[in-house]
Amino acid sequence: MIRIENLTKDYGDLTAVENLNLTIKQGDIFGFIGPNGAGKTTTMRILVTLLEPTRGTAFIDGLDVTRHGKKVRRLVGYMPDFMGVYDDLKVFEYLEFFAAAFGIERQKRKSIVDGVLELTDLTSKQSVTVDSLSRGMQQRLGLARVLIHDPKVLILDEPASGLDPRARIEIRELLRELRRMGKTIMISSHILSELEEICDHVGIIEHGQMVFSGRLDEIRPHLGIQSKVRVKVAENRDTAVELLSALPSISKVEIVADYISVTFADGKECNGLIARTLVNADLDVVFLQPEQLKLDDAFLQLTKGIVH
Amino acid sequence: MSASLSSIRYILNPVRLSGPLLDKELRVSSRRKRNYVLRFVYLILLTAFIVVVWRSEVMSQASTTFQKSRMAVAGRIIVSTIVMFQFAVTQLLAIIMLSTAISDEIYNKTLGLLMTTPISGFQIVLGKISSKLLQIVLLLAISLPLLAALRVFGGVPWDYVLSSFCITLTAAIFAGTLSLLFSISNRRAYVVIIKTVVSIGFLFGLVPAMLAALLLAPMRYASSVMNPFSTSLIFWHGLSHMSPYYAISRNTAALMSPGLPGGAFAFYWPLHCAFMLIVSALLIAISACFVRKVALRQATGQIEYAPRHKRLRRKAAFAEKTAIDAQSQGVIRRVKGWPVLWKDTRAPLIRGGEGKNSIIGLQLTVASMLLTYAMWAKAGCLNADFTHVIYTVLFVSIAVIFHIVLSASSITSEKESRSWPILLATSLGGWQILAGKAIAVARRCSVVWLLMAGHIVLFVLVGYIHPIVIVHLLMLVVWVTVFLTSSGLYFSSLCRRTTWAVVSTFGLAIALWIIAPVVLSLVGVASHNEKIGRTCMFANPAMQARVVVSGAVAGYGRHMRLSRMRFDWITEHHDVWSITVVLAITMLIYLTFGMLFAWRARRRLRRNVF
Repeated sequence: MIRIENLTKDYGDLTAVENLNLTIKQGDIFGFIGPNGAGKTTTMRILVTLLEPTRGTAFIDGLDVTRHGKKVRRLVGYMPDFMGVYDDLKVFEYLEFFAAAFGIERQKRKSIVDGVLELTDLTSKQSVTVDSLSRGMQQRLGLARVLIHDPKVLILDEPASGLDPRARIEIRELLRELRRMGKTIMISSHILSELEEICDHVGIIEHGQMVFSGRLDEIRPHLGIQSKVRVKVAENRDTAVELLSALPSISKVEIVADYISVTFADGKECNGLIARTLVNADLDVVFLQPEQLKLDDAFLQLTKGIVH
Repeated sequence: MSASLSSIRYILNPVRLSGPLLDKELRVSSRRKRNYVLRFVYLILLTAFIVVVWRSEVMSQASTTFQKSRMAVAGRIIVSTIVMFQFAVTQLLAIIMLSTAISDEIYNKTLGLLMTTPISGFQIVLGKISSKLLQIVLLLAISLPLLAALRVFGGVPWDYVLSSFCITLTAAIFAGTLSLLFSISNRRAYVVIIKTVVSIGFLFGLVPAMLAALLLAPMRYASSVMNPFSTSLIFWHGLSHMSPYYAISRNTAALMSPGLPGGAFAFYWPLHCAFMLIVSALLIAISACFVRKVALRQATGQIEYAPRHKRLRRKAAFAEKTAIDAQSQGVIRRVKGWPVLWKDTRAPLIRGGEGKNSIIGLQLTVASMLLTYAMWAKAGCLNADFTHVIYTVLFVSIAVIFHIVLSASSITSEKESRSWPILLATSLGGWQILAGKAIAVARRCSVVWLLMAGHIVLFVLVGYIHPIVIVHLLMLVVWVTVFLTSSGLYFSSLCRRTTWAVVSTFGLAIALWIIAPVVLSLVGVASHNEKIGRTCMFANPAMQARVVVSGAVAGYGRHMRLSRMRFDWITEHHDVWSITVVLAITMLIYLTFGMLFAWRARRRLRRNVF
């Protein structure tokens, strides 16, 4: 649905995005991660036709964003990292204005606006002026605006920034609902744990270049990190360590706090073998769980924190 | 002794009085290249102007004796022109530069932040005013050496240079403080600019005119000169000390005609300047009080400032509206027609009172017009050409200001509120956005044109004005609307800030309609081809309005035959057909340039988005 090929954007001497390549499939939620000034917002602005690339191309649903700007804008719903409000408009009027701007017929507008208001739980606020809404409500209104013309692709720049935990959860639920509706979503955020929960794929960008792009479970092999599991036995911990060390597919066994950390030799997890070995030795297994690499840790390992 | 001296120095230290804001603004402005470019261009233009006048007035004859005799005249012409130009431009700049001084701080939410520091409201206001006015003072100051050098021509006394500098400066300070006061309660720059211009026009134009009409019968002027205690004497005396416009005119008239009898009309410019400074200080004090209240309201999460009685009224209205909303959808207005046009024309021209303020404003304007008609009728000059010229030129000037301010702020205000990228991300085309905005500007300004049309049609029906003026003025209205709207939109698409867009559009209008005609006239005099300047001066809409209305009234009105009508333009006389052709050609030229500006604006629409 989204394809970026060798995308480069220069601002004078500064290269904000350099030879960026990316593909996002239809129905995916793609998390776009990177430090401040890495080039995320520039990439998103090029995709929504607000900026022209210096070199390279980007396609949305097969349409070149530089050549078919108007058609692309019909396909895309863009929510910037700031809430641009018309302070003298009411919520309903604000949404109807954008419905009209997207060329939706007057007869259909009311039902469409009512629909997105209901989806974003803003029906009770429809006669309130936009600038009097709380930050969370404004973000929801932003999402409602993005959905007004039923776009195939949603490009959301930091949609949850500055929101309280409840509002963040609500936005997350809304995004899940949108995924169920078949939308392709590209989302950038600094709250990595949230992206981890909703994204199918992530892209980590630094210094204008993509340092990783793929599924979350592909990050570990990409970083050369071996798979690990955590094992806790009720008693005879030393016996368990001896048994596990003897297994050929395990490279390292160590005691960490009150559990045993087991590192696999070839990267392939063999949790069943570990469980069988311990149970056959009459050891009570309290838990056996894969040790997951957090997105925060991957982000720290992949990026150097260099800002333009 | 030294301790008391240092304490006095500490109290009077301008940096302490205005706080760190002035220091910050000075640092920032010193880094902006455009300020240096502006000063350089200004100095170059002044020098060029002096050279042209000197050549036209002094060097046009070979005789040395003649040249020497003309030097004093040339000196007076140059100095008085520069002084009048600076007088108008500095006020305009002060109004524009301070139109967002406080509103920017409020909506960037930095005002509340500033109030958490030991900076006082007074320091904020003074810091803002002094930092912006400093740029204007610098512009005035760089012209001082030139004005001083002109004294070698003779005929320009020191006290004129000094007095005009002080009158200009105090007028700019007053205009700037008034603009700042309005910027506390108004978010949009164009609202502040229009309110300030209208207030100044009301204070120094309408009020003195009404007082003059009420208090003085025109024929009594001559006798009043002899009686130092007459009403007219007190009126003129008071006016010269209270109105900067009258003060500068009186000062310049004294320079140009040194033999003019002053009589009992003594004018003391220090008294006038002191009066203006006291009024400005009062406005600063009021602003400082309001700023503190606004900051405290912002600190508690309320953005807009309104006086207590308004807040209570709004609260009651809100409670009432909430009750209505519970049953229905309240006052939601459905989008009709072009979305951009609908949005931009949705709010009334004068905000507040849910549209009532606009109606009250219109009613007041019509009432003022009717009152002035009565006064003119009493004075027996309702059928005089100058009466209708004054009205028409006034309406044209107001319409020009409205067009410039509204069109130049239409895109930049969206950039400032950060809604511009969202609008551009919709499927609306560039021309659709631009046309919507242009029509919205034209529609909002149409009220001024309609008032002018009302005046003209009324007196055409009465028989004082010939109907041909309708055709001529229609051509004028068309090109003014198209040209100014397109150029304003172009500068609005070019600039990020409303202030700069408005300044640039005003700059274009001043360059085209004031600077170019003056310079070309002088070049024409020097090259013995005076037609260039005359032609260029006719491109000024106020001049066109004067010529066509003056020709259509001329004491005969509608009973005059077309073939006998005469339109006087300086030394030229046109019949109705030739003036129509000239107007049509002017209109076509402006329409062409208007279209060019619109095309450039369209090209620039998606640049400088953020």
